[in-house]
Amino acid sequence: MTSERSNIPSLIQVFEPHKAALPPLRPYLRELWRRRRFALELSRFTDKAEYLDSPLGSVWLVLNPLMLALVYYLLVSLLAGARGNKGTGSGFDTLAHILIGLFTWYFAQNCMTMGGSSVTLSSRLILNQAFPRVLLPLSSVISAFRQFLPTLPIYVIIYIVGSRLDKKTTLTGMSWHSLWVPVIILFVGLSGFGLALLFATLNVYFRDTSKILAYGGRIWLYLSPVLWLPERLHGWHRILLWANPLGPVLAMTTTVWIEGRSPSPAQIFAALAWAVGLVLIGGYFFISRERDFAVRI
Amino acid sequence: MPNEVAIRIEDLSLRYRVSVESRVTLKNAVMRAGRREKRRVRTIEAIKNLTIDIPHGSVVGVVGANGAGKSTLMRSIAGILPPTEGRIIVNGKVSTLLSLGVGFNGTLSGRDNVILGGLAAGLDREVLEAKFEDIAAFADLPDGFIDLPMRTYSAGMYGRLAFSVAVNMTPDILLIDEALATGDAAFKEKSFDKMRQLCEEARTIVIVSHALGILNELCTSAMWLNKGQMLAYGEVEKVTDQYLDFLNVGKVPSALEDF
Repeated sequence: MTSERSNIPSLIQVFEPHKAALPPLRPYLRELWRRRRFALELSRFTDKAEYLDSPLGSVWLVLNPLMLALVYYLLVSLLAGARGNKGTGSGFDTLAHILIGLFTWYFAQNCMTMGGSSVTLSSRLILNQAFPRVLLPLSSVISAFRQFLPTLPIYVIIYIVGSRLDKKTTLTGMSWHSLWVPVIILFVGLSGFGLALLFATLNVYFRDTSKILAYGGRIWLYLSPVLWLPERLHGWHRILLWANPLGPVLAMTTTVWIEGRSPSPAQIFAALAWAVGLVLIGGYFFISRERDFAVRI
Repeated sequence: MPNEVAIRIEDLSLRYRVSVESRVTLKNAVMRAGRREKRRVRTIEAIKNLTIDIPHGSVVGVVGANGAGKSTLMRSIAGILPPTEGRIIVNGKVSTLLSLGVGFNGTLSGRDNVILGGLAAGLDREVLEAKFEDIAAFADLPDGFIDLPMRTYSAGMYGRLAFSVAVNMTPDILLIDEALATGDAAFKEKSFDKMRQLCEEARTIVIVSHALGILNELCTSAMWLNKGQMLAYGEVEKVTDQYLDFLNVGKVPSALEDF
């Protein structure tokens, strides 16, 4: 009997009522880290199931934002032409700005939409297994990142071809300022993760969140400096830029990619504050409620 | 806690509120606020003041009518539902087979689902790859089905794979909820053999089932839950007999058989 009992590992788990809103964070984060492969593989397998890992799959992924960018470019040029406003820079500058802005925007929006439904779509897993639920929106952010990556070389190719053809362009090429690009991606990823956590939780309580997000996302896009340049705003209108959680980081995108400068300290600080703030707020909102998910799903 | 106790449940109560609305949406919430109505909720007392020690190596059957709190109890032992009051201490690695947990994503293949489920449970990828062959061999699905999306599986195939995952993960504590009913006679026999083997290895098993005959054969003890309260706990035949008397059906074959 004793020999049998020695086989039993002393792995003791205690489940108690949660009076405090947050579970003990240290073990939570340790469990999260231990299962990081799950988030990665879930994202990989989901892409595989949708054939996004095939060569044509990545073409498809790039084609969608590319077509949208062209549509928006036509729209913006028509509007500018109707008002007799030639704007600054060449037409190609506008197109480049819309392209890189939309690509970056879609990274954030994909985090929101995919992350927003990540919990409600995994009801079976949530009902049957105990694990840190943060892994689900995290996996969506990884998917969104993987869909974003191939759009960057596309932008670079279009930029190189376009600046050869359009001699009037004021766009500057790659410089050491481009070193800010990974920082921008990090900020967008963090902000997207925070928003994913927020909307994933909301979606558990209100199942129409993802529908509202579809409309809301479009309005948010128009309010963000993607289709228009950040310097178009003057005076108190500039609040729109800073109060928008994605405003500063999208302004950074314009500064680095289009103007070829380093972002201003104010831009960096605001973008960092929003990114960290969103992760903290979203994380608190999600983790403090995730033990409730199993009865609400 | 003494070392021979696998699961200790101390004065466990579990309540939760469910919304009576068809669909909880923001739209409904706004409409309701417009009519100055309150959200219609119902509090469900799934488990009331349950205290029990389950020693290592015991096979416990859980019986009770529908809505008695059996599944809730299983989920709280697995750490999925936190207690409202009381405490649960689990000594060992838990593997859950609650209403067929594997196959959470119908668009993914059986293989992917098994790997993902294992990773979510905190197992290493390498360990999973090594165990996968055993799992696939035990489930013994028809040709090639393991690599097809799980939405193409029949209910029986689903159950076979889920059971195979649960028992091959070498759990210390195995929780099985109504999963024995799936699979054909041959697979059922194989499942019993596997469970007997797990019992001999001094593992702890908790089985929820309506098939009293099977419980009588497999279990060392049983508990009877009724409306969240434990009415009896003890030697399996005694408890199932009591339960049958309560149901007032006597020992008719349908109550003993798997249905």
